[in-house]
Amino acid sequence: MKVITTKNLTKEYSTKNFSKDKILALNNFSFEVESGEIFGLLGPNGAGKTTLIKILLGITHPTNGEIKIFDKEITNEAYKKKVGYLPENHKYPNYLTGEQVLHYFGMLAGMSKTDVKKKADEYLNLVDMEKWRKTKIKKYSKGMLQRLGLAQSMLNNPELIFLDEPTDGVDPIGRKEIRDILNNLQQEGKTIFLNSHLLSEVELVCDRVAILNKGVLVKTGRVDEITAVSDNYVFQTSDIEEALINKLFGNYKATIIDKNEFSFNTASVAELNKLIDFVRQNGILIHGISREKNTLENMFINLIGSQN
Amino acid sequence: MIFLTLVFSTFREAIAKKIFIGFFAISTLIILVFLFLINVDSIEGMVNMVETSGEEGIKQLVIGFQVVMINISYLLIITFCFISVSSFIPSMLEKGNIDLLLSKPVSRAEIIFAKFLGGVLLIFVSLVYLIGFVWLILSSKSGFWHVPFLYSIFWLTLSFAIIYALIIFIGLISQSTILSIIVSLFLVFIVCPILFLREDTIFSLVNNEAAKFIVNFFYYVLPKPTDINQITTNMITGEPVKSYMPVFSSVLFMLAALSASIFYFKKKDY
Repeated sequence: MKVITTKNLTKEYSTKNFSKDKILALNNFSFEVESGEIFGLLGPNGAGKTTLIKILLGITHPTNGEIKIFDKEITNEAYKKKVGYLPENHKYPNYLTGEQVLHYFGMLAGMSKTDVKKKADEYLNLVDMEKWRKTKIKKYSKGMLQRLGLAQSMLNNPELIFLDEPTDGVDPIGRKEIRDILNNLQQEGKTIFLNSHLLSEVELVCDRVAILNKGVLVKTGRVDEITAVSDNYVFQTSDIEEALINKLFGNYKATIIDKNEFSFNTASVAELNKLIDFVRQNGILIHGISREKNTLENMFINLIGSQN
Repeated sequence: MIFLTLVFSTFREAIAKKIFIGFFAISTLIILVFLFLINVDSIEGMVNMVETSGEEGIKQLVIGFQVVMINISYLLIITFCFISVSSFIPSMLEKGNIDLLLSKPVSRAEIIFAKFLGGVLLIFVSLVYLIGFVWLILSSKSGFWHVPFLYSIFWLTLSFAIIYALIIFIGLISQSTILSIIVSLFLVFIVCPILFLREDTIFSLVNNEAAKFIVNFFYYVLPKPTDINQITTNMITGEPVKSYMPVFSSVLFMLAALSASIFYFKKKDY
């Protein structure tokens, strides 16, 4: 089942009130998110990521295009009962305690008092905020607010959760805990829509990603496909004499990295072995050969860099 | 339940921002001053003097006190309330707060209406405390239980609600607490009294028909809290109310301001 579908979604903003000058935040953006997957949205600052989330949640209105959530067009607020949201830089009323924040937003999500209480206990425990539940949130650190925000986003047992920079301000151990929570949510069948700048984290938790640049979808696909191993091999060797370098790299299209390190790109195992023989015949000792793996970060930098 | 949660959140915000405490402090101070005044010798003497002139004299004295009370409430309490509630909308619209609110299954019209109702109920409760206590003190002291004084709770709440609708609209457009306070106070304490007394003030200085038309236009279009305060006073003193037009036109203004707020809020991107 498709949880989110957009077709030719476009959003234009006026640069100033009543101005005719427009900024195109989203340009004919079409994509789909399947039920039960963790979907990552990537893009540089100002790419339109938060605008997209806000449109999907009815916070911002699209200029054009179609949106379906849970396979239905958005006509009223009812679908939001099945949605959770952790906004970037969320701001809760600072006179509330952690427990009261959950109570307030749980009630706003349409939960009963009994359910809110039960779930608040459960999720405060899950995000390790139990001992701070009675403390006013103005005393919370950024990381604590993020944990509370995460609990808030899960409170109404949503089928779809939007998380905008969920690990912002959270320490490495906390990030690992959040990743574990996201994985558990996925196992429960929830769909998670993640917007994060931390590509290494997206790579660790997401099934699929979409890359957005200047409001345009530039790439979408499974993370394991995007980060598939490359045909680039890195050789660590003993020092290569200057005289050998030209000979060595003249015959093979290798790239020197250092006097004892070079890389070689080939799709043929036979050719790779030929190079190994060649290197050994010339008295160079091979200390190691490793096949490079594409990271999401490398792919992202190359893709966005080539467009800008 | 979602709607009630929003209404209750306005109360909670008022408690957190010490608005309730401030209001009860001012109200209690007024009540204590009132208690002191009706027990001082000169007032006691006045009461004794009117007692000799019979029941009618006591009634007139009580009504006189009540009229003074209404004007104090109008000036002090309503001013305090305007200043207090003006921050409700701008704080709701703060980035990170409004996003979360709009992501919940509640319509934008409900949010505005809940904020409005929350503010109005807040003032109503506060006025019940102040007016109710003063009424009890005066009535038990004089033995004259003058019920029309209690009606002023409704009329003062209505005056507040009319201007609060405008405060909501200004708050939505400007997202500024200060601007909301300035406009509401300027309207209630400068524009409305001048328009209320336009025949004695402006028209005695300006004889131009076009200018008179413009002034009358603003009088009929804008809310009329001064007129409503006069109607309240008339009801307490038992004088006839010439016309309820100021009430109807002010309520229309309130509905128009609320409708405009909902329309604007529905269209706005956050």
